[in-house]
Amino acid sequence: MSVLSIENIHKDYGPVQALKGVSFDVPKGSVFGILGPNGSGKTTMLAIIMDILKPTSGTYKLLGEVPSEMHRRQIGTFLETPNFYHYLSAERNLHIAAAIKGRGVDDIPKVLEMVNLTHRKKSRFSTFSLGMKQRLAIASSLLGNPSVLILDEPTNGLDPAGIAEIRTLIKKLNLEGTTIIMASHLLDEVEKVCTHVAILKKGELVATGGVHEILANEDVVEIGAADMAALHLLVQQFSGYNSMKLEGSLIQLFYPIGTIDLEGINRHFFNEGIVLNHLQLKRKSLESKFMELTN
Amino acid sequence: MIRLLKIEWLKIKNYTAFIIVSVFFVIGVVAVNYIIFVVNNNMISQSQAVILTGKFSPFQFDKTWQTTSYAAGWLLLLPALMLIILITNEFTFRTHRQNIIDGWSRLQFIHVKIVMALLVAVFSAILVFFTALAFGFSSGTPFSTHGITHVGFFFLKALSYNMIALLIGVLIRRTGFAIGVFFIYMGVENFISQLLDVWSVRLRKHNNLDLGSMGDYLPMNSADGMLTFPSNPLKLMAKGVLPTDYPWLVLSLCIVYLLVFYWATVNRMLKTDL
Repeated sequence: MSVLSIENIHKDYGPVQALKGVSFDVPKGSVFGILGPNGSGKTTMLAIIMDILKPTSGTYKLLGEVPSEMHRRQIGTFLETPNFYHYLSAERNLHIAAAIKGRGVDDIPKVLEMVNLTHRKKSRFSTFSLGMKQRLAIASSLLGNPSVLILDEPTNGLDPAGIAEIRTLIKKLNLEGTTIIMASHLLDEVEKVCTHVAILKKGELVATGGVHEILANEDVVEIGAADMAALHLLVQQFSGYNSMKLEGSLIQLFYPIGTIDLEGINRHFFNEGIVLNHLQLKRKSLESKFMELTN
Repeated sequence: MIRLLKIEWLKIKNYTAFIIVSVFFVIGVVAVNYIIFVVNNNMISQSQAVILTGKFSPFQFDKTWQTTSYAAGWLLLLPALMLIILITNEFTFRTHRQNIIDGWSRLQFIHVKIVMALLVAVFSAILVFFTALAFGFSSGTPFSTHGITHVGFFFLKALSYNMIALLIGVLIRRTGFAIGVFFIYMGVENFISQLLDVWSVRLRKHNNLDLGSMGDYLPMNSADGMLTFPSNPLKLMAKGVLPTDYPWLVLSLCIVYLLVFYWATVNRMLKTDL
């Protein structure tokens, strides 16, 4: 079952099209990353799901049903910025959030502990640093032990230790069965945490699927020979690589990182009667993959 | 709704500005009437004119409801400003978004604010009722409920001010700017109201056409128009001593405006991006 199902969502701001017919499904139990450069429409998409913004057209379903505030209560969401009453303490702010959700009041000490804010629970929100505000927002989203978490740039403003803690927390919650939808412009973060990804570029969905399919981090070998037809036939009988692609007058072979044996490749084709006139190793970084997808 | 109000109470019960404004309002309502009481007792009732025209006590029973309602009406700016601050705080802190993300519907968010505006008006009216009662008994006259409808008019005025405040709050969103617009609106409406009143007099005089005090047909003035100071022999305040010409028309307009404010406020919250 899909936890979230988005269908052909458009959002226009006058002449600016922030989302152009985006559709995807978030499978239950996944850590679903919405990846895209700044301004690609990630937050707009999540804000529409949370009824903060109205879509120009298109529909979406939460937990398989037409969305309502009752569904939002079952989802822990941290969207864009930590939004709390500045004059109230961390604890009192969480009381309000729990009261609105209709559950989670008993969780307040636990979630404060999870984000290391217990010692500041009586402090006013206005006295918090950016990182602490961020952590309080994550704590608030965890109230009531939701089955779905939506986190928008959850590690923004956190120090390296804080970032690592949040990543560990996300993985732990996912192992316990929580579906996590996470928007990020940080490739590294998505790759380390997510099982699935949707890539947005200027409001358009560029790709969606398993993170290892979409953001495969591979080494590439380019090979060429005088008789490309024969080479192509031989490559198909050859094993050890993940995938193959014809690139102009060359063939690209995609290997898991660090598994390429150039000498072995050369020897194999030579023994089969083909002399390679081109053999080149190319490292395909995650960044280049991302740039390829979004540029 | 009780559950929503309890949450609203969690938001404001520790908010210093709310506590200060509330205390000022309560003290202000009592103080302004006390000043009138003292001034009347020590100055006006001793004046030659009053001695000639007969004793006038604004707090004697049957007048106390009107006097207290009228005097306290001047202080209704305080709760209105407080409501502007409370609603614009939500926009400033972006907690309006968070409340909806956490599980309120947009309608629940704005309805609880409107009910707050209603409750503030109810509490203000209750305060006026008891203040009027206390000063009435102090005047030494026998108890009477005659004229108690003025407390009802006061309630409508309070509600009108609060609803205008909420509407401006949801339209403008920024605290300082919203408060500025509220005052500018008051000034502009009063100016137009004066012009309409002058026009009304001219129409009556030159065209033999009586359309009443047309200035009282505007939103804030329709709420003000029903509350006047009891006629006193000195007739010091021209506007204050002249009750509106068609009270039922003005009352109806006031209610129509309230419905319009309600519709506009809710519509804005339901339709717009937050």
